[in-house]
Amino acid sequence: MKRYIKPVFISLIAASLFLESSCTKDFEKINTDPVAYGKENWDPNYTLSSAQLFYTGSFDFAYDTWRGNLIYSSTMMQGLSTVVSYWAGDKYMLNESYTAAYWGTGTVGAYIEQVRNIVDVVEFTKDKPKYANLYNVARIWKALIFARLTDLYGDVPYSEAGLGFYTKVYKPKYDKQQDIYNDLLKELETATAALKDDGDKVTGDVIYKGDIAKWRKFGNSLLLRTAMRLVKVDEAKAKEYVQKVAGKTMDSNADNAFILHDESGSRVTQNRNSQVLLGDGGQENYYVKWSKTFIDYLKSNNDPRLQKVAVTKLYLSEKDKDQNSGFVTDPTKQKGMPNGKDLGSNAQYNISSDPSYTTFADYSSPNPNMIKRTGATFILTYGESELLLAEASQRWGIGGSAGDHYKKGVKASITYLNQYDGSLAISDADAETYLAANPFNAADALKQINTQYWAHTITMMDFYETWSNWRRSGYPALTPVNYPGNATSGTIPRRFPYPSTEAAINGENYRAASAAVPGGDKLSGRVWWDK
Amino acid sequence: MRNGYIVHFRFIIRMKLALIMTTCAVMNVSANVFSQQKVSLDVQKTKLSKVLKMIEEQSDYYFVYNSTNENLNKEVSVNVNNTKVLDVLTKLFNKSGLIYSVSKEGLVVVSQQQQVAVAGVVTDDKGSPLAGASVRVKGTAVGRATDINGRFIIDAATGNTLIISFAGYTSQEVAVTKDGDLKIVLLEDNRMLNEVVVTALGVKKEKRSLGYSVTQVAGESLTTARENNVMNSLAGKVAGLDISSTSGGAGAASNVTIRGVSSLNQTNQPLYVINGIPMESKPVGIGNANSKGNSGSQWDNAPDLGDAISNINPDDIESISVLKGAAASALYGSRAKAGVILITTKSGKGNSIDFNSNLVAEQIIDNTNWQTVYGQGANGEKPTTQAGAAQVGGSSWGAKLDGTPVVQFDGASRPYSLQKGNLDRFYRTGSTWTNTLALNKSFDGGSIRLSGTDVNNRSVVPNSGLKRQSFNLVGLFEPLKGLTIDARYNMILEQVKNRPMVSDGAGNANYNVMFLPTSINVNDLKPWKDSNGKEILYNSGNVYATNPWFAANEFINNTNRDRSIASVTAKYTMDNGLFVQGRAGRDAYTDHYKNVVPSGTGYYENGKIAEQETKFADINADVLVGKSFTLGDYTLTPNLGASYRNTKIRQTTNLGTDFAIFGVYNILNAKNKSVAYLESESETQSTYGTLEFAYKDVAYLTGSLRSDWFSTLATPGVDNKLNSVYPAISGSFIFSEYLKPSWLSFGKLRAGFAQVGQATDPYQTLLTYNFRSEVLNGQPLGVINNVNIPNSSLKASTATELEIGTELRLFNDRVNLDLTWYDKKSKDEISFITTPSASGYAGAVLNAGKMQNRGFEALISATVVKTEDFKWVSSLNGSYNDNKVISLAEGMDEQTVATSRSGVGYLMNKVGMPAFQIMAFDYKYDSNGEIVKLADGSPDRGELKSYGSAMNKWFAGWNNEFNYKRFNFSFLIDGKWGGKLFSGTDYYGYIFGLHQETVADRESLGRTASTYYTNTANNVSKIFVNSADFIKLRQVVMGYSFPSNLFNNKIKSITVSAVARNLWTISKKTNNIDPESSYNATFPGLELGGVPAVRTYGVNLSVKF
Repeated sequence: MKRYIKPVFISLIAASLFLESSCTKDFEKINTDPVAYGKENWDPNYTLSSAQLFYTGSFDFAYDTWRGNLIYSSTMMQGLSTVVSYWAGDKYMLNESYTAAYWGTGTVGAYIEQVRNIVDVVEFTKDKPKYANLYNVARIWKALIFARLTDLYGDVPYSEAGLGFYTKVYKPKYDKQQDIYNDLLKELETATAALKDDGDKVTGDVIYKGDIAKWRKFGNSLLLRTAMRLVKVDEAKAKEYVQKVAGKTMDSNADNAFILHDESGSRVTQNRNSQVLLGDGGQENYYVKWSKTFIDYLKSNNDPRLQKVAVTKLYLSEKDKDQNSGFVTDPTKQKGMPNGKDLGSNAQYNISSDPSYTTFADYSSPNPNMIKRTGATFILTYGESELLLAEASQRWGIGGSAGDHYKKGVKASITYLNQYDGSLAISDADAETYLAANPFNAADALKQINTQYWAHTITMMDFYETWSNWRRSGYPALTPVNYPGNATSGTIPRRFPYPSTEAAINGENYRAASAAVPGGDKLSGRVWWDK
Repeated sequence: MRNGYIVHFRFIIRMKLALIMTTCAVMNVSANVFSQQKVSLDVQKTKLSKVLKMIEEQSDYYFVYNSTNENLNKEVSVNVNNTKVLDVLTKLFNKSGLIYSVSKEGLVVVSQQQQVAVAGVVTDDKGSPLAGASVRVKGTAVGRATDINGRFIIDAATGNTLIISFAGYTSQEVAVTKDGDLKIVLLEDNRMLNEVVVTALGVKKEKRSLGYSVTQVAGESLTTARENNVMNSLAGKVAGLDISSTSGGAGAASNVTIRGVSSLNQTNQPLYVINGIPMESKPVGIGNANSKGNSGSQWDNAPDLGDAISNINPDDIESISVLKGAAASALYGSRAKAGVILITTKSGKGNSIDFNSNLVAEQIIDNTNWQTVYGQGANGEKPTTQAGAAQVGGSSWGAKLDGTPVVQFDGASRPYSLQKGNLDRFYRTGSTWTNTLALNKSFDGGSIRLSGTDVNNRSVVPNSGLKRQSFNLVGLFEPLKGLTIDARYNMILEQVKNRPMVSDGAGNANYNVMFLPTSINVNDLKPWKDSNGKEILYNSGNVYATNPWFAANEFINNTNRDRSIASVTAKYTMDNGLFVQGRAGRDAYTDHYKNVVPSGTGYYENGKIAEQETKFADINADVLVGKSFTLGDYTLTPNLGASYRNTKIRQTTNLGTDFAIFGVYNILNAKNKSVAYLESESETQSTYGTLEFAYKDVAYLTGSLRSDWFSTLATPGVDNKLNSVYPAISGSFIFSEYLKPSWLSFGKLRAGFAQVGQATDPYQTLLTYNFRSEVLNGQPLGVINNVNIPNSSLKASTATELEIGTELRLFNDRVNLDLTWYDKKSKDEISFITTPSASGYAGAVLNAGKMQNRGFEALISATVVKTEDFKWVSSLNGSYNDNKVISLAEGMDEQTVATSRSGVGYLMNKVGMPAFQIMAFDYKYDSNGEIVKLADGSPDRGELKSYGSAMNKWFAGWNNEFNYKRFNFSFLIDGKWGGKLFSGTDYYGYIFGLHQETVADRESLGRTASTYYTNTANNVSKIFVNSADFIKLRQVVMGYSFPSNLFNNKIKSITVSAVARNLWTISKKTNNIDPESSYNATFPGLELGGVPAVRTYGVNLSVKF
């Protein structure tokens, strides 16, 4: 028997060795994806372009913008108002998948679209002199991304986030917001300082086209905004950082950071807010209006922005998405829609029972030139920067005169609208007329500055920022709605709860973070700086 | 020297024998007394001739022999007490070199055994030759296969018995008497207890020699009462095989699991091997970014694009062999972890024309049990305006139904009353008509079979259906003696119209008709578009709630598959038994998938289109060399082989959005276009060897070793191990050869131990980058290519399995029993763990984790009644599988596999528990154990807990066949127990106010009822975990075979049958859904928005000319 077994196995082993040595040589080549790029032939500038674009919202039909920016932030801040039944934010109802949308999933949202790409750019370019500027621009962008994430949720994965490939940490821990802010401030300071005018050209930059001087001002203005967020919890630190950037922030609206969109790439490249407000996914075009609070504010101050941002009779029928070219810009005809209304049968809430109601077309919509598919998404403006400086100066007497900064800020936030579209241009003279009629009042400065900030960020349609600054400053004083079934006992929400999916996929870290939220892990809980 | 001696005596003995035989014939006395005579002997080392004399003294037997035969001088020892003479003789002459024959008169003629070359032909009962039948000398492992014309020549000795067997036929034993031609006719055996089964590498073996469990199913049992996906017809028929259809409608994939889930995250579908050529069966297509298919999440909202096995035409299947355990499938190495299903297709037999026609009607089963008290509306109120009605169009949170007129979404006023039966109104009666024509032609040196089948299915889903045309050409040739060539070509053309979407509501008719408010009649949703072609929304508050008629009639989800499977096998057998076999096969298909979101769709008014072309080619080739060596009672058969596999996929997707001309659906009509392209290649090379050892008909031992080299593990710059080795050993012992009580006709013990494995998909080892299809104002958008964090040190996962079993045939073969126990452990699981998106990736490819499956299978079949006219065969198969996740990746005690669309139900693997745990949220309890409530009184959310595995633990199938004269009747009842199901349907039943349980407190809650119940649904999702236990009357067939003389013998046979499947759910525990609902084959335990379960009934006509 043995005499047969031996030769069988010897020949098997011999055949195996033969195979291994001869035929598996090209296995590495076979296992290299022919339609992809490796570290050796990739240019990380292209990844930066994606990280910048996705900050304006998800590739998939404005997934996060629709839910986080519009459904929740815009209506809670009474910039917009709607009767669409699923716009839960208008009534402070909880729709967990909507509040979780900004954080996102494995497919859409901030972590998988923004963090994933920007962290990779930072890791890719670290210690590579030929990408020094790209590295620092990416660090600034990364700080911008995480600032918004932590402002919305509080403690979030930061130090271990996006590094799955590099560190093999599969379940990143949640960092304390305080630690995140400390690191953001440090990162912004060092990255901005390290930018070199004669360094590498950041070819992937879709905002400033690699203009390093502008990036330096952007970095400093962002540092200013980040520092000012801390006024309620660490005024000393806020002041310390503001002092560092005084005089180095944005100089004019020409420094404004915005991304111009592109119609050709469909949902992936078109303006996020516009896709939703043009009714691509529903009847938002017909049923989403400027809030009564916002329009009343513009009206009461005779604001020149009113005739530019608001129009009536834009959509004449709920069935039709064709815009009426004869829309009305006459400021006297503008009328905001009250928040907290519906189409139901109870007169207390039904919009048609409201004294202001005539027809939907009579309520003001955003000007169609603000919501072009190719239009701009504003990221950070000179107007914001100056208003923040005004507040810093008012609080601590640093960095020049509060009144000066206020004037510059208000003027910039009136005149920048032409960056949406030439037709929205407001002359310097009109802005100055407005300022003359509404002069800086040191006694009421914080309210005045932050109410201007509120109005400016609403016109920017960066409602996330509107909400954060409102929570930080408390201005303007908004009257909450109280709709049956709301999740906050009729108070304006102050935070997005963590996504419930985290319980399943990052259970231990989630449970610890969720338990630590002051006021509970719900809409009425608070982030650390919002004490 | 010895040979001459034998020749010398042969002459004398022949002469004597002839004389004696003649004498006996003349006397022709019938006397059976001798056979009962008994003797007692106790002799040690005594000459055989002397022992014979002692028997003559004690009995009336008389021995005739040539006294010069040396063999009679051999010394024997025998000790028997009062034993029948005939039994004593068996012992005495065993291995004596002599044979004997006994006449009725007690005359025993002893003669020298002779070596003869026996030739013969094996045919079926219609006279068609059976090629490849096994002819074996009983008591040895010497065997030959019949050639293409059913002929064989085998060396044997006179007195030997030949066993002739063929898969699907009852074996026959024939005594070897002299040289000459034998004509052996085998009869078909339709029971599942074939003596010969197809084993790994397509080798046919007698079942008694196998050290592992194999179940073979004859093709006939798949064609009478048929399913569009042939695998679904196996449900309940094979122990250890868990088959469930998925909710994807016509052309959907089937979920086939053998002996429990074998992998944590990779496919658990078995490898299919068709005529020796392996075939991968996994889902492909747009929306299936997840390589494992539709996982049911929001982003997986896509139709089920089916699997590869569903294309196979059941009429062409000769038999299906299920290799359940590792020992059976070890020769497939890295492809065998989930078990292997071998399919042998028919080849030409005789000269005949076979025609089969099958027509069935299909009807959905409405399992819903929604509330009937409250109508459409919100906040406890009926709508008062058209806009208000449309805004909450999908909600049943209205007022109490009172029959008064109320305005609806379209402005029409209709009574506010219950509209039960929307499912029946929406789904139509479907039908499937299958016609098959097969031509068989045998000629000298070969045979040909040509078949054509046309399947025409009209789905229960409006505007949907499947058409399939298959052609199969099989040629068997023997151009030279010893050389057989088997060439097959199978062409499959399949067109599926509008594969229905499953899961979420967008474009999904199933979802929207399922959750239609109580007071809305689905027929009032017609017309589904306005005069401009735009969708008429019944629920403008959620434009993703597509009007079901619009979804069914306007959306396009068409697939076209053009597939060819070709194979050639050449086998050369030399006179000395050495054979060399080479085989090559190519399975290639081109899939075209057209997906259109039509112009005017509520959620995407400008419309979009995707045209996807996938080219798939899988080449497999192998060689095998082997020979048997006989050494006395021992036979040794070594085989050596090598195989090669190369798989290439190329896929181009043209995506377009915003049609320039409304309603024209071609890619050029899209204003914005982009393209996606992917290419993938993988290769596996293998060598293997087997060594089979047999001792007479009694004991068998087989060892094998295979080594696989994988391209998918190769990483540039990393020198990792590319191969895995898979050893196996199994043995079988026929104890009834030694121990044979009267009630036992056959008894066998078997055991096997083997290792198998599973490799992985290509391109998982490196981080790569790529561009999106779109550009931003000319600037390319770069992204990381990998969905999962790559792993440069991947290795293949392995599983080791021990199985022990027995086969018993009792009471004259009236009762058959087959029992198996197995224990399978897998390690180095390639896990695609879901990582939090904060890691930057949706998942990670890890290579760790252990899992265990333990269980047993039993098959008992009995011929309960057997008279000349009536026969009742009842068989019961049952299996139990206990699965346990032993460990996951380092530092992880749980991993998420899938998430329900609801967001509050999950599928997770947890250490120490069975795989695929259904996870949901419990109540929150305070320190006193009281339920914590929110301000509005609804329960707060507690811990995420596991509520049991989605995989069933117990399975049983009970099949009964009755034959009365020319009538036959059969029914199959099957059941599954122990699994859990997270019902997305029940969840949305709560959200939309349809669920029975949302009625209780509506009055007291008033306006806040919907918030209350929505909070309850989101916070205490454990209420949606259902037991998936069920018992179903799966199949009923009643048939009649016409006598052929009715048609002047011009027609060989006609059988007409009435068939029905899924007739009756005898018991279930789910409330609004079928307990077998699932999104797809890979993610069990989650369901939503699928096509309801369907029952079918119809007729089958089978004619042979």
